[in-house]
Formats: sequence, structure tokens, C-alpha cells
Amino acid sequence: MAIRVNPKIIDDLAVYGAEDVQLCYHCGNCSAVCPHADEFNVFPRKPMRNLQMGLEKKLERSLEPWLCYYCGQCSEQCPRGAEPGETMMSLRRWLTSRYDVTGLSRLFYRSWKAEMIAILVLALLTGVAFFLFGMLRGDIHVYSGPGAFLPSSAVHLFDWSMAGVLAALLFVNSLHMWRLVFGSKDGPKPNLFMYLKHLPQLPWHFLTQNRFRTCQERNGLWLIHLLLVASYLTMLVLIMFFLPTMQSGPEIRWTVHTFGYAASIGLIGATIFMLHGRLKKTRTQFQHSHKSDWLFLIMLVYVALTGVLQHIAHRAGFPVAANLVYIMHMMGVVPMLVLEVPFSKWSHLAYRPLAMYLAAVQRDALLGRSSQGGEILAPRRIA
Amino acid sequence: MKAKIGVYICHCGSNIAKIVDCEAVREYISTLPEVAIARTYKYMCSNPGQDLIVQDIKEHGLQRVVVAACSPRMHERTFRAALQAAGLNPYMFEMANIREQCSWVHDDPQAATEKAKALAQAAVRRVVHHEALEQMTVDMCPNTLVIGAGIAGLTATLELAEAGQKVFLLEKQDHLGGNLARVDLTAPYLDSARDLLIERITRVRSSGNIELLLNSRLQQLQGYVGNFTATLSRTGHDGPGTGKIREIQVGNVIVCTGYREFAAERVTHFGYGKLPDVITSFDFEKMLQAGRIECCDGTIPKYAAIIHCVGSRSAEFHGYCSRVCCMTALKYVHEIKSAVPSCYVSDLYIDMHAFGKGHEDFYRRTSEVKTMFLMFGKGDHPIIRSAGPKDDCKMLIEVNEQLSGELIEIPADLVILMVGMEAQEDAMETARLVNISQDKEGWFIESHPKLDPVATTTDGIFIAGTCVAPKDIPDTVAQARAAAARILARIAKGKIAVDAVYAEISDDACSGCRICNELCPYSAIEYDDKKKRSHVISAMCKACGACVAACPSGAIKGRHFTDQQILAQIEGVLR
Amino acid sequence: MSFEPRILGILCNWCSYAGADLAGTSRIHYPPNVRIIRVMCSARVDPTFVVKALVSGADGVLICGCHPGDCHYSEGNYKTMRRIPLLKKVLKDFGIEDERVRLEWISASEGQRFADIVKDMTERIRVLGPSHVACELHADPRER
Repeated sequence: MAIRVNPKIIDDLAVYGAEDVQLCYHCGNCSAVCPHADEFNVFPRKPMRNLQMGLEKKLERSLEPWLCYYCGQCSEQCPRGAEPGETMMSLRRWLTSRYDVTGLSRLFYRSWKAEMIAILVLALLTGVAFFLFGMLRGDIHVYSGPGAFLPSSAVHLFDWSMAGVLAALLFVNSLHMWRLVFGSKDGPKPNLFMYLKHLPQLPWHFLTQNRFRTCQERNGLWLIHLLLVASYLTMLVLIMFFLPTMQSGPEIRWTVHTFGYAASIGLIGATIFMLHGRLKKTRTQFQHSHKSDWLFLIMLVYVALTGVLQHIAHRAGFPVAANLVYIMHMMGVVPMLVLEVPFSKWSHLAYRPLAMYLAAVQRDALLGRSSQGGEILAPRRIA
Repeated sequence: MKAKIGVYICHCGSNIAKIVDCEAVREYISTLPEVAIARTYKYMCSNPGQDLIVQDIKEHGLQRVVVAACSPRMHERTFRAALQAAGLNPYMFEMANIREQCSWVHDDPQAATEKAKALAQAAVRRVVHHEALEQMTVDMCPNTLVIGAGIAGLTATLELAEAGQKVFLLEKQDHLGGNLARVDLTAPYLDSARDLLIERITRVRSSGNIELLLNSRLQQLQGYVGNFTATLSRTGHDGPGTGKIREIQVGNVIVCTGYREFAAERVTHFGYGKLPDVITSFDFEKMLQAGRIECCDGTIPKYAAIIHCVGSRSAEFHGYCSRVCCMTALKYVHEIKSAVPSCYVSDLYIDMHAFGKGHEDFYRRTSEVKTMFLMFGKGDHPIIRSAGPKDDCKMLIEVNEQLSGELIEIPADLVILMVGMEAQEDAMETARLVNISQDKEGWFIESHPKLDPVATTTDGIFIAGTCVAPKDIPDTVAQARAAAARILARIAKGKIAVDAVYAEISDDACSGCRICNELCPYSAIEYDDKKKRSHVISAMCKACGACVAACPSGAIKGRHFTDQQILAQIEGVLR
Repeated sequence: MSFEPRILGILCNWCSYAGADLAGTSRIHYPPNVRIIRVMCSARVDPTFVVKALVSGADGVLICGCHPGDCHYSEGNYKTMRRIPLLKKVLKDFGIEDERVRLEWISASEGQRFADIVKDMTERIRVLGPSHVACELHADPRER
């Protein structure tokens, strides 16, 4: 049965950043230089072809964009300037919006104005809510301890609730991703054993981004990325489990705060490195920046800086300033997490390891099918 | 007297030497009594190779020369010139073809070497009987007949006329411009075809040296190089002068009869003629010239599809590539995108042939305007069918896409079939009239495909443009100018040497039976009533030898192809 | 050792010789049994040439000209078309098998066809065996 093409999809993807994909004439150099492409996952060439031809369904169920860490070699080798690396990046954005069941992701990716409005509205709401809460329940002159303007117990509760909602959204979207990948009738059907066998890959890739390492013998971007992730996770653990200690003071609790300092330096350092890179276009990966990339980095650096500022103000004995900066900090944290984690760039923290896990399962399922004498559904080697 | 013969065996690099043991051939040939010198050399046709012959002739007083090398069609002339340079009559030469007809077609070195020995020996046996022949020169009539007034004919005509020579420009249609007049823009620079033509046509019409003969055809061409008599007739629709016959004198003829488009009806799976929105490239040119791209119902197409290689590069129709369709297809993409920017264009090709100057850039620019390029296999073809009521398009094209390996279906409102080029339907008639050959596809054959691309095997008849093979405008114009330049060079000389090879009748032996008179296709044999003998008008004889073989009294001698020479050669080759 | 036929090819300059050259430039292989001489037109082929060839030890003679209607000399090959069958009739009376003399039309673009014909003719004559003409005239013509 012939697959109907959708010629409009290419225009759609251009909004997500894939502006040059039509220049590709399929020499296959990109897939040849890619350290991650293999006979099961021929990329960037195959997804690029599916995109050129508007094979929407094929794109939707493809895991390949997530297997790419955008080292940029493919774009450098491309004789036509078709930007395969950026195309893969754009496909990740597009897939994120496809996985998202709410449709918000699509809205934000396609319109940075909508995203800005959402950020501002959320920030304003957060600011007003926290301010009113503080004014009603606490004293603006107290930062921590009894009578605090924003008591850590309350913030802690808020954090956990928000984490719960975001995790649930991310989980639903991830489930949708799984359904797209394995949901089709003629696709491979893995058994439970295959799912279990590869399960350790999930935390392994999540924590190490080990595949990124293999494509980074040239520029060490993996280390910076790892630093960012580690800092972020450290901060997450500190906030979710040690918020009362973090917010205590004014004396410094070295056992906890050491980690906080390290994480802050890591976050700010890595973010500034990336901002600088994107501004100066220092690397292949930084040649093209979607609006969503800028927003993400700016918010991250804003959140990190307000967090540090709040800490300094408190330790320096300015509780009012510390409380106000705290509100400003939350005005950044809430929109950033709410928008980025389930709907935008940050969702890749879940999709990427999940995709690698699913790709391993898929490969087993395909091999299993062929070993049973059935039709080999592995993509033909056409690179 | 024993003839002194020099024999030269060419290695042709390794072309001959890798199969034929040239040294063994040399040794064998040296044993023949008439052979004074036998040598082998890497490249006999090179300057040092020719010098070798010249030197040997001078030093050793060679009287005859045999070169065993490539085909005489390739280098006979080269070596004859070498003989002449050394002061020997050029006809004291014979070639043995041990490359095209030996080393290139055999793989057994021993058998090939034996055959090469035989061929060389045959040449030696033949050359013994060669006679010194004197070349004749004839006056060159400076007028030229150009057949066909497309871009090739117009260009050649202008080139000749502006050099001050008289040109008769013959066109069977009632207007100038040929197929190019049916085209809107040209690839890859998107110049208007009209502009290209108008400039030429204006110059042609205003030139005093050009006699324009519209609605006219060639009826007959008689004579030989430098002295042709062309009989022309007016065709057309009962206009004044229809059927009028006219004779003109010309020295040379350039055939620029062009091509016709492949008839798309012959391909059934595209539904041309049944699906109203499946049109050919020439239908589309008409649409472009009219200035509106639309479907048959007057709507603007949302999806357009272009299918390449219709009638070309297929086992069923023509095996060759028509060369211009790929770039024309890309041109259509640009024209559609500029007229209807919202239209999605898909381009279905087998291979994208972007060989010419500026073509690769043009291909790239076409990619930039988001063309959906789809590759189908040679031997496979897309299938077009009408869409259903639910679809937002008129037709659906099913194609086995090669770059993805997927069977896909693409929407289309307008389908353009890139029809290829075909030899004109009257190409065979033209070929016979001017006595040139056609290849299996009907294209006219060049004297040499690489080294002599505008001349033909008939001296004085030149070919240019798409009557030779499919080609684009620059190549066509280059050929037209090349043909004109060849003719101008001959006109400048004023005289032309004709081959010294013709038939002679011995008065003593001729019985006056007159069998030969009727046999000659050129009426070159006259009967002298007084002498009761026939004789050959040598300038009109083309040396076919039909009369020689037919003469019952053996009175006719075919110079350079005498019975003696051929029989000796037969004996030699069957050693 | 198996019998290797010796075939004389007489080819017209414009079509068939060019066709044989094309087989060469296209590297289309055929048996080395055929040895070619060139005439301007197949109409130049005097019956004595064929007889001479058979007498000189040829096991077969292949005459090639342009396709009818495509003769460089307009109608030379029509003469050949009449002459050769007549000759074959005479040869038959001398006990020379029909297949030993063959007339074929080869155009300048038919390199493959030329090679195919040579292959076919070589095989047929190989089956037929050596020509008795030469054998009877000379005790062993190949030692001559």
C-alpha cells in the first residue's frame, strides 16, 4: 500500500528550524561520518529523506533524531549545505510537539510570542501568588526560620506538587512517544523480556550521556553537557530534599552548601559557555539557534543568578532583598520548569534516554522477527 | 623489380600490444621477400612515429609502406600525409587494422597474433600492386544550402552570410525558428527563447546574402563536393508557387533539420490523452507563452508534478538520454514557483543529468525553492490515476521511490511529461537525398563522432544540431558555427582536392556492351557513339566499384581497388 | 586439435566496416576466425573474389553491405543482393554448401550485430567442417 506524502510537512518543519533540508541530494556522507548511525538507524539521511518526501507517519515513529547528539560532523561534511545536524535538531523539536498531548508544545515552538506571553503570565501569577502568600502568612523581614516570609516547608510542598504535575505530564508524553513508536500494526512487537533486558539503559543514558561521549573526541562538549546535567541534578536533589537546610542560615552549612556552590558554578558556567557559543557561533552546533534555544538559556542563567543573589543577600543580612529576589527567582523557576520540562527543550532529559532504550528494544524485536524467518523489517541499507 | 616495403607495427600503447605479440608479427613480416624494413613502435600516429616512416623512406628508399595499427578510417589520412611529406605518392600505402578488428575483439593472444600476422601480410601483398595516383582538384562553388531554419540553421546561415557568402536557407514550414520558437524561457539562465531567436531572425531577414526559402523542400541533390545541384520545390497550402521546382548551384550543404518531440500517447501508463491535466512539456510551454498556468478547468494547480525521461532512457522506446529535459524540468519548477508560489512541485526523475555549464548551480537553486525531488528506477515508472472525491487534488501519482525505498503516492493537479527528442519523421528521406547515414535511432551519423563531429561520410554534406543527436542550444550553436567555419575554409581555398580513386575504362578492352552505363548510380559513365566505347567522367565517379565488378570483359579498373590488389590481399589474408 | 574455420570477410567501407570497427571500440568480442578486407561498396564484390577465397583456403566467405536503402552509393547493395544469390547457385553446382557464403547487412551502428553474425557463422562452419575446395586443390592448403 502506497504511503500518501504530505508535501506541506516540509514547510511546517521549517518553522522548527529545518530550513535547508530540501538541498539534500542523498549522497549519504552524513550517515557515513555519523558515529551513531548503523544499519538499523540510518541517520541523518533517512529521516531527512522522510522529511523531504513528507512521510509524516514515518517521521512520527522515528527514534533516530534522539540518537543524535548533534556533534555537527554531518553538517560539516555535507556538500550541499543541507544542515543534517540542524535538521535532526529541528526534528527533535517537532517530535517533542508531536509527543505532547496538550498541543501546547506545538504552540510554543511555532510561536515564540505565545511562549513569551505564557512565560510572562506564569511569572506574574507566580510572583503575585508568592507575594500575597508571604504577606498574609509571614514577615518580609524574615528569610528563614519561624515566621519566614516564604517558609521552606510551604515552598517545599509547592515544589513537590509542581514536580508531581510536571512528572505526570512528562510521563504521559513519554507514553505517547512509546505508543507512536510501537503502536503501528505492521511495526515490530517486542516482548516483555526485551523490555526488561534493556531497562538498565534508561538510568545509564540518563546519568552519563555515554553516547554523547563517543561523538565528542573533537570538542569536549559532552563534558560541558555532563557538567550542566550534573549541576542541575545536584540542585534538584538539594531543593527537593534539603530545602530547609538550604534556606537556613545565615551561617553557611558547608556539608550542603558546598554542593550548592558547585552546582551553581556548573550551571552558570555551562550556560554562559553555551550562550557565548550561540552568540559567536563558535561551533557547528551553534550555527543555528531557534528562538526556543535562546529562551531556554536565558531563563536558565536568570534562575541560576537569582538563586545565587538570593543566597548572598540572605547571608549578607538583607532579608527583605533576599525575600524579594526569592520571589523573582521563583518567577523564573516556575515558568521555566512548567514550560521547558514537558513542552520544550528540557523534555529531552526524558525522551533521549527513553529513545535509546526503545531503540535497543526495537532492534531486538526486529532481529527476533527476522530470525523467525519473517520479513526483515530493518531499514534497508541505503546510505 | 622487387618492391621495397617498410612495415610498421603499432603497439598503440597497450591497446594492441597487450593481446597481439607485435614482435612476433614483426619477425614474421620480416621474412616476406618484399619487406625491406619491419619495425614496431609504441605509437605510430605520434609525430616521432610518423617521422620514423619519413626517415626510413628517405634513408632506405622505401617505395611502399604498410602500417599495422588501428582502423584506416581513423589514421589512413595521417599516414598518407607522412608519405607525401617524404616525397612518396600517398597511395603507396596500406593499413592493416589490428586494433578495432583484432586486439580489441579477441581475448586469445595466440589467435590474435596469428590473425594480426595474416592481416599485415595481406596488406603487404596488396601494397605491392599499388600505383601512384594523382589527386584531382575541382572548383568550389561558394554558395551553401542550409536545410532547416531552427537555431542551428539560422546560426550557420548568419555565419556564412556575414562572411560574405551566398546562402540558401531552406525551411519546410512557413516560419523561422524551428522547435526553439515553441519554447518560453531557456535553462539555466532563464533567458527568453524569443529574444535569442528574434535577434537571429532579424539579422537573417536583413542580410543581402541570404535567400530565404520558406515552405520549401529539397527534392534532389546531384553532383559532388563543390558542385552540387539542388532541386527545390515549394510545398504549403496551395499558396502562390506551390509545387514550383527550382534548381540552385551550391558547393556545400548543411543539414540542420532538428528533432521532433516524442509522442506521449505512446506511453500508456501516464494516461496522456485520457487524463486532461496530464500534459507534455510542449503543451506546458504553450501555457507559459500564453502567460497562465492552469488546469483544464481553469483552476490554479495546488500541486504540480513533473515526470522526466518520457520516451527516453527506456528499453521500450528510446535508450538514449535526450539531454535537455532535466534542465527544462528544473526551469519549469522555477516558472511554476514564480507564477504560483503556493504550488507544491514534485519532480520525478531517474537520474538528474546536470552536466553542462551552470547546470549544477541551477539544480541547487531549484532545491532551494523546496522542490520535492523523487527518484524512480530505470525500467520502472510512476503510475497516474484520478484522485477520489475526498482528496484535495485531481490526481495521485504512485511511485516506487528509490532514495527511500518506499512506495509512495503524491498529490497532483497538473502533471507535466518531459517528452524526449526523436529523429524527424522525414529524417530517412533527408538522409537519402543528401546521401548520409543514420544510426539505429535515426540520428545522422558523423564522419567521426569525436574528431569530425559536423562532417559526414559524404564530402560536402555537413550536419549540425539536434538532427545529429539530442543536444542543448549551446552545443547546437557550436556545431552550426563549426560547420559554417569548415565550409568557409573550403571556400577560401577556392578549390578542393577530390579522391584520386575512381573507375577507368580501357578503350582497348571495352566491347561497348553498355551494361555499365545503366549500372552507375551517378550517371558517370558515358557512351561514345563514335568510338563505340563507354568512358567514365572521373569527377562524377564516386568509386563504388559496381561497374568494375559487372564488366563482362574486365575493361573497367577501379583505381586503388583493382582486381589484382584485392585478389592479392585475399591470398595474403588466408595464408 | 579442433577444426578452426577460416572465414574471409569482405566489408563495405561505409556501413559494415564501420560497424566492425564499432564492435572493436565497444570491445564486443567475437571469434578470431574471421579476417576482413575492405571494399568501398559491396557492389564491388566480384564473384571471382569469392571463388579466389575458397580456392585460397577459406572455409567461408562473409560479405557485408549497408542495409537495403541505406547504401552510401544509393543502390550498390541492390546489385550485391542479386549477384551473390546467383553466385551461390553456381557454387552449389560445384558442391559448395550454401552456408559457406553468406551475405549480411550491417550498418555503421551495428557492432553487436556484426559480432553476433561472426559468432554464428563460425559455429555453423565449424559444424560443416573444412571446405573441400581447398582440400581437393591442394593436398594440405595450410602448409602452403
